[in-house]
Amino acid sequence: MKQTDQWRPTPAHARAVLAGLLLSVTAVLARRPDLLVTATPFAVAAAWAVLLRPVESPVVRHSVGHHTVREGQATTWHIHVDDPDGRVDDVVAALDPPAWVDRKPADGQTVVSLADDGSEPLAMVVRPSRWGCHQVGPALVVASSALGGFRWASRPWIQQQRLVALPVPTPFDAAAPPVHVPGLVGVNRSPRYGSGTEFASIRPFQLGDRLKRIHWGHSLRTGDLHVTTTWADHDRHVVLMLDAFHDVGESGGIEGRASSLDISVRAAAAIAEHFARVGDRVALTMIGARGAQRVPPGAGFRHLRRLLEVMASVEPANAEHDDGRLPPGLPPGALVVMLSPLTSPRSLQRATMIADRGMSVIVIDCLPPDITDEQAGDPYVALAWRVEVLKREHQIRVAREAGVAVVPWRGPGSIDLVLRGLQRRSGSGAGRSR
Amino acid sequence: MSEPTVSEPWLLMARARGVGLLLRVVIGVAPMVALGCTLLAADQTLPVVKFVIIALSLVCVVYPDSHLGLLVVVLVGIEWLVTVDDPTTPWSIAVAASMALFHTSMAAAGVVPSSAVWSTAMRRRWARRCVTLMLPAPVMWLVVIAFDNRNSAGSQVLLAASLVTLVIVAVWARSGALAGGRAG
Repeated sequence: MKQTDQWRPTPAHARAVLAGLLLSVTAVLARRPDLLVTATPFAVAAAWAVLLRPVESPVVRHSVGHHTVREGQATTWHIHVDDPDGRVDDVVAALDPPAWVDRKPADGQTVVSLADDGSEPLAMVVRPSRWGCHQVGPALVVASSALGGFRWASRPWIQQQRLVALPVPTPFDAAAPPVHVPGLVGVNRSPRYGSGTEFASIRPFQLGDRLKRIHWGHSLRTGDLHVTTTWADHDRHVVLMLDAFHDVGESGGIEGRASSLDISVRAAAAIAEHFARVGDRVALTMIGARGAQRVPPGAGFRHLRRLLEVMASVEPANAEHDDGRLPPGLPPGALVVMLSPLTSPRSLQRATMIADRGMSVIVIDCLPPDITDEQAGDPYVALAWRVEVLKREHQIRVAREAGVAVVPWRGPGSIDLVLRGLQRRSGSGAGRSR
Repeated sequence: MSEPTVSEPWLLMARARGVGLLLRVVIGVAPMVALGCTLLAADQTLPVVKFVIIALSLVCVVYPDSHLGLLVVVLVGIEWLVTVDDPTTPWSIAVAASMALFHTSMAAAGVVPSSAVWSTAMRRRWARRCVTLMLPAPVMWLVVIAFDNRNSAGSQVLLAASLVTLVIVAVWARSGALAGGRAG
């Protein structure tokens, strides 16, 4: 179909005009008036279409209900058609969606009688089935006049809309206390004593203790001055490092299988949401096709929204782009949570470098657990994957021996054990755990 | 993951449902009805032309928005012209009606995607217009009967007037069809 901004005759109109004329001329020349009987409907159809031909082009406006949704959530693609002439009969809208966007109706085609139904029923439901930034539309709108004689098609290159599907965080919770960070402000209990608010113990008075800390009840009972001690308060600075150099496995969207990048992004979203909700500062560093993307640390729901939007924009690169270097901007004392499928030794090398700098680092293994089962149909590919997994296990073992904590992603409590270990060791300032 | 866009006409036709499916059945059947009526009115038959018409009408089922329909109509006209000798036979009304049905079905199938759901208003409007196209055919048949009963001799003036009228109509239809609309 030719996409124009003018009304054009259709093959149906050409058929009506030419069939009517040819049959009529033949009837006259061959002295066969009975052919005029057959020619009459075509002549009427042609005359009808010409008389009711629209002149003005319809005005089409597209809009999307929500520009940002969670993956799996639906929004509506609205199409408004104004007909200045009032001669448009049928309007067809066809929405050709990008990958990972489902439509309702399933084939993305709706049709209305504009005069009778209005343009509201042209609306279509669009539902991103995977996180990411999707360019949706524009819908091709085709209007036709009486008896399908003339047709107008909207320009397809305008009004594309951006639909951001934020990752749905997988269930996550971390009950472990935070590791040591410098500074004495924040909402978390420090492993050290200090002038915080949470009660730690009662001990005998020492020189330099504040008078307001004296516990009079205990002092009267024992006959010696005693003071209450508290745990220091501090904040937690979490840096999420997303390794998008590899996207291993096949993604089936929100309801299907998860690729390694799906697991990474959803896990990162879950961790970010957890720590942001309790008031910790969360930063994001993504290494992928666009190089290293950084979101500086921040707290609160607005910051969380920004983190999720940046996560949704991640594009996987290939391993050749990975130079193994450490991305800049990792603050000392931060808890670095690295999410990676660990299919490249450079990922673990990067984690080791972070630990060598004295930072606490946890590597979350995001390789889909059923990656070898996915290739069950091809024995050679399955065998290659098994070999690759064995190599990877060896590299993980070496990294663990070097002190880098590597844990698989299991949802709630995935990193609790490691966090407790780090917290216990925080007094020594070591960044590695065993 | 969303399905890939299907642009193959065969696959589009396979998705036809409801009114879209009915239209495609009518597109295939209407020329056969016209041929049947021609056969009933005729003294002879042209099997090759019949075969070609049937084959073309089946292609029209897959490609309703094409110019093949014009070829079907012209061939039906030729078949009628060659095989039928009686210009007053009422079967011409049936042929005209089936051709009107064929034309309207193809026009509707060219406008509306095969899998789209038709609203009640659309169904009624297209049915009404199809009947409106059929109605002048019996009137024209009565005119033909009237002319035939007069047994008037051929007139060069009448012939020239008819041809001039047809040329004027053709020019009017052409100018109406090709006049550029205003962009919105």
